[in-house]
Amino acid sequence: MLRTRGDRIAEYAAGGLTALVLLVLYAPILVSAVFSVVEIRRGEILWETFTFRHYVTLWSNASVTDALVNTAIVATCSAGIAVALAVLLALYTEWPGAIARTALTLLIYLPFLLPPIVTGLALLVASANAGLDRGLFTIVIGHTIFVLAVAYRLVLTRLQALPPTLIEASFDLGASRWQTLRYVLLPHLASSILTGALLALTLSFDETLISSFVAGNEMTLPLRLWAMMRVGFTPEINALVTLVLLVSIALALAAASLLRPKGEPEED
Amino acid sequence: MPRTGPRWLIFAAVAALPALVILVPLGSFLAMSLAHAEKHQIIYDWTLRNYASFLGNWTYLSTFLGTLWLCLEVVLLSLIVGYPIAWYIWRQKSWKRYALLQIAALPLFMSYIVKLYTLRSMLGLNGLVNQALVSLGILEQPSQVFLYNQRAVLITMTVIYLPYVVLPIFLSLERIPRSLLHASTDLGAGGWDTFRRVVLPLSVPGTIAGALFAFVLALGDFITPQMVGGTTGFTIGRVIFSQFGLAFDWPFGAAMAAILLLVALLLIVTAGYAASRRRV
Repeated sequence: MLRTRGDRIAEYAAGGLTALVLLVLYAPILVSAVFSVVEIRRGEILWETFTFRHYVTLWSNASVTDALVNTAIVATCSAGIAVALAVLLALYTEWPGAIARTALTLLIYLPFLLPPIVTGLALLVASANAGLDRGLFTIVIGHTIFVLAVAYRLVLTRLQALPPTLIEASFDLGASRWQTLRYVLLPHLASSILTGALLALTLSFDETLISSFVAGNEMTLPLRLWAMMRVGFTPEINALVTLVLLVSIALALAAASLLRPKGEPEED
Repeated sequence: MPRTGPRWLIFAAVAALPALVILVPLGSFLAMSLAHAEKHQIIYDWTLRNYASFLGNWTYLSTFLGTLWLCLEVVLLSLIVGYPIAWYIWRQKSWKRYALLQIAALPLFMSYIVKLYTLRSMLGLNGLVNQALVSLGILEQPSQVFLYNQRAVLITMTVIYLPYVVLPIFLSLERIPRSLLHASTDLGAGGWDTFRRVVLPLSVPGTIAGALFAFVLALGDFITPQMVGGTTGFTIGRVIFSQFGLAFDWPFGAAMAAILLLVALLLIVTAGYAASRRRV
């Protein structure tokens, strides 16, 4: 691409803006990491207070560890259910005999497109109508329908990239429907299933708005942090937040590396 | 292909769970908006009175219109900031481009509550923003104008929802064939002309998608206004949420959320239509 002087000035300006905004976007992890190891008073870092002990003591704070366990349970269950459901729905909507394909697809995407307040409220009303107690079960349902769209989209894209001849070949070689699914389709979908599960885990880990409606007396980590925000974070909470952010980033990076296209991008 | 009978059975088997956990809740919430609450009892009398009392009450209506205006401001601000960022990332080559893209996308997966907490402390009286402005001599002393008002909600929402705007814009920029840019340069267009006549029009679909994400997310957010908005940063999301807590008027809350849902659906459909019309 030919770069004129004007282009270069625009690029410097946009680059400066990008750097500034990225600094703001990454401030949460920087701030919590710093506050987890040192004390800061009146804008000055007190280096003599430097310690890693908050990373140890945080595990004795039961209200936090309970919330963390709840979050882990919810994330694992909803990611697992969402991915299994996504595979089933993707296989169905790609099947030539499918009925009401558009309506079904719309249903899958709806909870992801709608404001979370609507999804949360709808689940709250439905579980009250059904006489269901609010708790981990209702949170799992909420997270499952929220992350389903992402998992479905990933699996569907991969499924559509599969050459139909592969399935025909499998049938020609005498494989049953089940064997074709087990030995041809599922191995082909494996990477998209894994990516979907990772993204679902990360999204569920952080979901707050739907949870706040359906949690009842249970606490997930974001809800616990929300409650703690009113009084301010202690160094222990900052240590925990640092760990949580690092885990989320690691999960997201793992998903991204699986998603990256294998070929070289177009160059000039 | 199986006959019609089994096809319906298979459909029912596959669609049962999604219908139960998505369609039934949405239906029951819409039904709730047509009921009314009396002494902690919900009576389903299929009335539009919740909608009528919402439209007839200026306090609620003005909060709703104020929220729409706030969302529009969030969209505009995040486009002004987000478009140049997407453009800058797109101008980079190979590995640098994808590294930057990942760095810009990662904050999507960082805790929403922690972002709120950090931004709140940055905007506060002893926060980074005030300290920077005072040390630069722009302000004489720390100011409280950055927190607990509508402006604070605007800034915070923009920061939180910015990556949702940058990503779709980048993706639509990336879809522009290089040959078009070369052709434009070969035909004598300068950098600005190429941008205005080729790049900008072709990135409209992604820009619409990004704007839509930011608008819908800001529309339903009730935690951000509560945490940084103070008493003046009231939004319709906060009003709805309070109906399910202290106010305990579920049908009225459901009716307001139904109006929110209607606005969101209208926007999604319009944006989808606009984006498909622009596709070349």
